[in-house]
This record gives sequence, structure tokens and C-alpha cells, in this order.
Amino acid sequence: MAAAPCGFLQAQGSYEIQVYGSDLVSPGATMFELHSNFTFEGSKTVVDGQYPTEHQLHETLEITHGFSNWFELGFYVFTSADARVGWQWVGDHLRPRVAVPESWKWPVGVSLSTEIGYQRAVYSPDTWTIEIRPIVDKTIGRLYLCFNPTVDRSFHGPSVSQGVTFSPNVKVGYDVTKAVNAGFEYYGALGPVTGFDPLQQQQQQIFAVTDLNVSPKWEFNFGVGVGMTGGTDHLLVKMIIGRRVTTK
Amino acid sequence: MPPEIPSRRDFLAVLGAAASARSLGQEAPTPDFALRIGPVNLEIQPGKVVRTTGYNGVAPGPLIRVREGQSVTIQVVNGSAVPELAHWHGLRVPSEVDGAMEEGTPMLAPGTSAQYTFAASPAGTRWYHSHSMGGRSLNRGTYTGQFGFFYIEPSNDPGAYDQEIFLALKEWEPYLSTMGDEDGFLDVAYKYFSINGRALGHGDPIRIKAGQRVLLRILNASATVHRRIAMAGHTFEVTALDGNKLASPRISPVLELGPAERIDALVEMNNPGVWIFGATDDHDRKGGLGIVFEYTGQRGPPRWLPPSNQVWSYAAFGNASAEAGAGERLPLVFEKKFAGRRQVDHWTVNGKAWPNTDPLRVARNGRYRLVFDNRSDEAHPVHLHRHTFEIAKIAGVPISGIFKDVVVVGAKTQMEVLLIADNPGRTLFHCHQQLHMENGFMALLEYS
Repeated sequence: MAAAPCGFLQAQGSYEIQVYGSDLVSPGATMFELHSNFTFEGSKTVVDGQYPTEHQLHETLEITHGFSNWFELGFYVFTSADARVGWQWVGDHLRPRVAVPESWKWPVGVSLSTEIGYQRAVYSPDTWTIEIRPIVDKTIGRLYLCFNPTVDRSFHGPSVSQGVTFSPNVKVGYDVTKAVNAGFEYYGALGPVTGFDPLQQQQQQIFAVTDLNVSPKWEFNFGVGVGMTGGTDHLLVKMIIGRRVTTK
Repeated sequence: MPPEIPSRRDFLAVLGAAASARSLGQEAPTPDFALRIGPVNLEIQPGKVVRTTGYNGVAPGPLIRVREGQSVTIQVVNGSAVPELAHWHGLRVPSEVDGAMEEGTPMLAPGTSAQYTFAASPAGTRWYHSHSMGGRSLNRGTYTGQFGFFYIEPSNDPGAYDQEIFLALKEWEPYLSTMGDEDGFLDVAYKYFSINGRALGHGDPIRIKAGQRVLLRILNASATVHRRIAMAGHTFEVTALDGNKLASPRISPVLELGPAERIDALVEMNNPGVWIFGATDDHDRKGGLGIVFEYTGQRGPPRWLPPSNQVWSYAAFGNASAEAGAGERLPLVFEKKFAGRRQVDHWTVNGKAWPNTDPLRVARNGRYRLVFDNRSDEAHPVHLHRHTFEIAKIAGVPISGIFKDVVVVGAKTQMEVLLIADNPGRTLFHCHQQLHMENGFMALLEYS
């Protein structure tokens, strides 16, 4: 596997850095989220025709609408900006998601997200990809645990031959107060499920994060992440600002 | 209090109930009414059967109708698999038979029975319901079909109406939900809704005639939900709150009832048609919380019209020119304690959660001002067992003439009520929102 930091095949690159919880957007409501991610230390040269990631700012607009208590649909617009090429459109994704309704009273939250879309080759050598993301989460008192054992597949690009790859995400959070949750998020891209890449070629990132809960209408997440292998961007910051709009 | 694991006190109480049941079985008089707690399969609409627990195989349970002052004996048989208790809500009865374990009424063990004898008072629309705890399983207490009307006819009021209709509002199949706020706390949501055990559009309509004065006795039997209701094309003349008559009935286009509240309202049937009586909330009304009123000779699909005005305040039904009498002030501060996102919040009364709340001490025949200081962001339907109180002040505004046993204290609001401590015995005070009550919002009032 080429060491292609932040290709879309590896956990959506650094365009949407988020561990998904099992909750859906409420029926009839729409969530607008802006994901802002900046890479302080990343790749410095063009690799396989892909722009260097260092000092790239990624702005992603995510719009998700809830259709029922078990289905939502999300749409993404990915963009990137840096001093070399300015602000560029990167690609779009569509993300249908189903979940076990709360009324089923399962002991854990369970959801399944499928994301499919296109991104330009200068930002990701794999231009058409699909991601299937199972989501399991659980709250125990003030402790929140979430696991996304994600699998990805490229349909066009150098990773096609890899088949299905494995990209696990984990979040552990603790409610310090009613308004502040602090914790860690882990993002991995380990390589093909049939045989993981050598460790240095895997992507391993860990973020210290905080979520603010100041209003049911707003969401805010901020994190600082470090890459722990040679195949990972070394220092990133991420921020998500979300606004929930209901028509009722 | 752990909801599922019986405490030593529970165990002893169950033993006490069994002993009591045996002795009562030997000596008790023939009961006037019998309630058997057991499973109920309630078909709220064709093809949808709610499986719950109720009385005598139905939900609501049978109407208990007695005369004021009449001695009444009620046998309760627990045919369910868990300890239970029936509480006589709004009645002035001794603690031993009131139906709250915390006051000293023994729990009824599965397979046992007990008889409760008391004088029926005060007159008005009362009710009975389970007073057991549900915990997170939401299949006990007021989440179930264990509820029914208990109407005590006044000795001196024949009633100026042509027809009397009892209407019980209820939700079914509860579950915990963040209500769309993934970072919020858990509250109770429901899948189905009904009035008198049937969803809107199913079951027979209520048939009325033009020109009739129909008295509605309405009960919000919900475990957790505040309700605003209306009758399309008509207004209400509110005559009693919690069964206690108002000095001056008032007209209102809407009615609002917290959990456990009752309203008596007259409706002049002066607009022939087929109309919907139900929740003003479209989702819940369309989900079943409604019932059809059909005038004689009228046909067609039932119509819904939103009420002209949705304002509701107790203040509209009292005497604003006078304040209820004075009394020793007993402050009660209600606060919410954060337990974690996606968790059920905890509640405190004067800084402590049940079972650690400090009891309120009163003297027999003493006059007290209970000062409810709700510092939380939710409204609470607070209930005092075995007593009636008079609202004296709402958010600083004096008032009198409104007698209640449940009162909704608005979010971030203070309310004062006058209590005359005239029914000695342990007395439970709690929020009638079952989730709040089970998570700390309870205290005892004790006579010295």
C-alpha cells in the first residue's frame, strides 16, 4: 500500500474526522455541520499525484435530514484550501444511515451508515469509494463509549486491488459537567481485512477532544490529533460546529 | 431507590400484607368493589394490541362510583407477578389504606389480596392507580393500565347537565429517548396514545344531541406527559379542578392537565357536526390521543379545528382579589441534578433525593404555606397524598379559591399553597411524573 496520508479510503481522510454515535437526526429535522480541519504537519511533497497535506485547510459541509426514527440521509461537500492552489472543491458523498429505534429498547445503540461518493484524484488517488460503518455505543453514567468498526472499498484508484480495508474508530468521553464532555478519539486505517499493512504504513491517529453541550440546537466538537505512524499526518486540529433546524 | 431489587423494608411490607390479607380474609365485610390486578391485552385499534397490566382485564379499570361519606370496602387481588399497590388518589383516607408503601400501606405480594375500608370523601372526580415503582423497565406503576375513575357523588349537588362522560387520556408502550437531542438527558417517549383505551377513530363515537349540556370528567392518566386538549368547534366551561368545584366556572377554549390532574368541564353542544376532542399536539392526536363526538343525525369524517386561544393558567379560575390564608412557611426547593448525557436526571427536594429527603414536620390542624420553588427547567405536577390544598400565590401573584391535590409548578417558578394539616398520618409528597418520582423527587410529611 502506498503511504498516502489522508486518502479517502482511510477513514474519510481528514475531511470529516468524527466518530459516529448511534443517534440519528430526528424525523423532520435537519442538521447542518461544518467540519474544519487543519493539518499542521503532514506530507510536504506531491505523492502519487496527490497534493501535499501540510497546511491544508479542509472545510466540509454536511447536511443531514431525519426521515424517520430509523432512517436519515446525509450529503457532503468537501473542499480544501491552501496557499498553493487556493480553495478547491474536492468531492461529494451521500450517506444513508439506518438505526435501531430507541423504542426497541436495545441495551446498546446500534446504527449502520453507508457512505458513497467521489473525490478528485489530486486530493485522493482513490476517486470512487464506499464506506460501510457499523456503529455501536453505550452510555454508562457519565462515561460514553462508541465503536465504529468501519470497512472501506475503492472502486477506482490504486487501492482497488486491496479489496476491503479496515478502519476502526473509537471514542471514549466523560461528562465533566452538563456542558462539557472530554475524551479521546482514535482513528485507524489498518489496511486490507485479508492482511493488515505493516505498522508504519497504517494510519493511527489519536485526538484529545471536547464536546460542548450548550443547547439542543447546537453541537460543538474540538480536537487536537497526533499521528502515531509514518503513514499518518502528524499534527491536526479539527472543529465541528453543528446547527439543528426543526420545522415543528 | 433501586427499582428492581426489593429492600428489606419491601420484604417486610410484603410479609405484612400477606398477614393482613389472611386476617382480612377471615373478618372483612363483603366488598362493594373488587379489583383484580392482572394482564390486559388492550386492542387500542384494529390489529394493535397493547399488552399491559390493569384491573379486571380492562384499561381504564371499572368506574368506582360512591356517595360522599359512604363507607366503602374495596377488595384488591394481586394477580400479577410482582408486588403491587392501589392508591386512592385525592381521597381523604388513613395512611394505612392510602396505597403508598412509603406511608405504611403494605405492598400486596403476588397472589395475595387485601380489603380496604374507608369513608369516601371529599366529593368529586378522584381516581385510583398503581403506586409501584417501575425503574428503567417502564412496565410498572403509572406506565401500565392500572388506573380508573373514582367518582364521589356530592350529597347536595344533583348536577345541572344532560350527560356525563368520563375521559381518561393515556399513552402506551413507553421507552427512554433523548427526544432528538443526542447530547440531552433521557425522557420517556411513547408509541401509542388513547382516550378511554381506544385510539382516535377507533371504537364508537360519543353520541350527543344538539342543545345538550355535557359534563366531561377528564383525567390525565399519563405517567409523564403534560397535556393540552381542545374540542373542535366548542369551548369548555371549567367547573372543577382535581374534582374540587370552582366558586365561579370559567370559559376556556383549551384545557391543560399535568399527569394525575383532573378537570370537570361542561360543553354546550351548540355546533352540530362530527368533531374531534383531543390533544392540540398534532403528532399525539393523530397518533391516537383523541375521541370523536357525533351529534345525532350528523355523519362524515370527524373534523379538527385548532382552538382560538391556547393560553392556560390556573390564575384564570381563582379569585385574584384575595390571597388564600396565611400559614407557617415550609419551603420546598426542587432541583435537577445532572447524571450524564443520555442518562435520566436526578431530582432533589431541599437538596436531598429520596430516600434521604428530610421529612416536613407539621402539627395537627396547623396551617402551613408550602412554598414550592422550582429551580429546574421542567414543570412538575407535584402531588400531596390524603390532603387537599389551596393555591395561594403563583409566581408572586396572590390568588385563592382553587383547591387541588396535584398542582403543576412551572419551570423556574415559585408557587405557594395553603395546607391545613387535618388528616394525621404519614403523607407522601412527590412529583407525579413517574420518572422524576423514581429518581429522587419524593418526601414525606409527618405529623408531630
